[in-house]
Amino acid sequence: MIAIAAVAAVTLGAIGLGAYGVRFARTTSDLFVASRAISPWFNAAAISGEYLSAASFLGIAGLEMKLGASALWLPIGFTAGYLALLLFVAAPLRRLGSYTIPDFTEARLGGRPLRLLSAALVLAIGGLYLVPQLKGAGLTLREVTGAPYWVGIAIVGLVVALNVALGGMRGITYVQAYQYWVKTFAIVLPACVLLIVLGGLPERAALFGRELPAAPAGGARIALEHPTQVTFPRAATVTVDATAIRAAAGEERTLPAGELTVPAGTTMPVARGVRAQTGAQWSRPVAAGGGTASPLFVYSLLIATFLGTMGLPHILARFYTSPDGAAARRTTVRVLGLLGLFYLFPAVYGLLGRVVVPELYVTGQTDSVVLKLPEAAWPGLGGELLGALVAAGAVAAFMSTASGLLVSIAGTSAYDVVPGGEPRARLFRFRWAAVLGMVVPALLALAAREVDISVLVGWAFALAASTFCPLLLLGIWWTRLTIAGAAAGMLAGALSATVAIGAGLALDDDGGSFAEGPVDALLAQPAVVTVPLAFIVMALVSLRTVAPRRTREAMLALHLPDGLGPSALR
Amino acid sequence: MSRPPRDELAEATSHGVLYVRRLRRTQLSLSLLAVVAFGGLVGALPLALFLLPGLARHDVFGVPLSLWLVAVPLFPVFVLCAMAYERRAEGLERSFRTLVGDDEPPG
Repeated sequence: MIAIAAVAAVTLGAIGLGAYGVRFARTTSDLFVASRAISPWFNAAAISGEYLSAASFLGIAGLEMKLGASALWLPIGFTAGYLALLLFVAAPLRRLGSYTIPDFTEARLGGRPLRLLSAALVLAIGGLYLVPQLKGAGLTLREVTGAPYWVGIAIVGLVVALNVALGGMRGITYVQAYQYWVKTFAIVLPACVLLIVLGGLPERAALFGRELPAAPAGGARIALEHPTQVTFPRAATVTVDATAIRAAAGEERTLPAGELTVPAGTTMPVARGVRAQTGAQWSRPVAAGGGTASPLFVYSLLIATFLGTMGLPHILARFYTSPDGAAARRTTVRVLGLLGLFYLFPAVYGLLGRVVVPELYVTGQTDSVVLKLPEAAWPGLGGELLGALVAAGAVAAFMSTASGLLVSIAGTSAYDVVPGGEPRARLFRFRWAAVLGMVVPALLALAAREVDISVLVGWAFALAASTFCPLLLLGIWWTRLTIAGAAAGMLAGALSATVAIGAGLALDDDGGSFAEGPVDALLAQPAVVTVPLAFIVMALVSLRTVAPRRTREAMLALHLPDGLGPSALR
Repeated sequence: MSRPPRDELAEATSHGVLYVRRLRRTQLSLSLLAVVAFGGLVGALPLALFLLPGLARHDVFGVPLSLWLVAVPLFPVFVLCAMAYERRAEGLERSFRTLVGDDEPPG
């Protein structure tokens, strides 16, 4: 009940701020780029709010619990991606003064087909990323309130579509900044309070020592909705609905649906795709051998996230809302601070969750550890209040990322796919595009209930990294880039990434250990190979073709300090 | 005969293009330098943790040192690195303004 109230409060707050923003949304410029009048701190909070999706709020802690401390490289990579943006993209891109990525390609290279190609990629990436956000919202609301799956999708979809259609970028900026602080508060406060209530980290042997996670005092009761295949790392006797099941160490069993009881102190059986690890194994960030802790895997993850972030369309659109290039740079520095503050805390939930809610290992749903932890660690009103707070934070995470994606989708549909028209007509198109851009992914989310979230996120991320990352880096810093080169490189990147994901799907017949949560896919994603490939194709084809005439002018616009650029001198 | 550099920029003449190319290249080398320095720092951490597994045996406030090293210190390093870069990049732009004789304050 408290959780429903908290979720409702956050949602109403977003609607209220969105309505407040509507009063400012008068022109096209307001809708697309908030009239470029947002101050660095405000914009930084909005960027961070938009970036911290469900993968950050729920996924990192869930992966940490499942895989171990090697998951903690993820937030580092997510933050490093912003450093890449700061170093290579933020200020020049803002100075060029384009509204969207397709707009950038037109201003830098020209060519309507190229613009359409990048518009199609923005729509594909945005759509692929939007579906998992909506799916996550449906699942979370069901978990927290017991409402049917479609309710969460309908609520989040409706609120986001209304806010974007009416308020555009200007209104959304206030909402996003507000949601950053909601999310940060919702992750920091429960973490600190629970650490105090529990008196530090309990059960150190299971965390850092030789023990496997075991049922807490009083035993664990787990409702199994369907027959569940589990592995018993140690010999154990458990009961399902009063039927005793004896299993030897290492034995694999399918438990029938019903209420599973694991007696106190008994080592927890683990679901398919979860590896039972002792505390010492679990807490190592890097280790020899295969798996997610191997040095090779850690490095490829860091490189992929470092380069991949800049390709996400909803991230880039935010930089156009800064007043000038220097402000875009200042904004990005603040974003790094705000992200760092947030990312200090998900690790706490993974650590506590391993001891307090080990039953998630049985069901394999470690992604819900953030939602489940407060009430399990602190039974009573206090835990319930904290649980309501994290639920509200999770909903804020779905809504803010979905809003950012929808602004990109609507902006691209209204501005790039159908260019021109007078401002009123464009405004009209933007609003309808926002509504349509939400309806289609919402229907997909309803239909794709059984499709793994991670597949979509991984595909979107790989697409973004292997198309827009080379386009931006070469476009901004290399004068020899040509239309043909850009098109060939983006096509090569998009195709190879799609093929790699498809092959991964085809080969992964056992539901593998990397196909559970939204972030898992980021780990197993092909960007490390496809990004260099796209770079090479783009460069080679460019060297064999002639650079467009506008290169010189575009380079001036990109790199002249603010106030000196051609637009200011004209 | 010679004209102020600023006019040349406005017309994107060969001289102006040369100035901007130089600015672009210094900015790019600054960014690459930052990537190398920062990448060295972040990139060394997994290797250090891999080569020195003993770090896991030292506890700080009950949590292994190796875990602390991953969970906390890189985030402030990101911010410091970004601030240092921002200062240098703005400095480069200031000296470019001086070079082309633009005395007006930015913005």
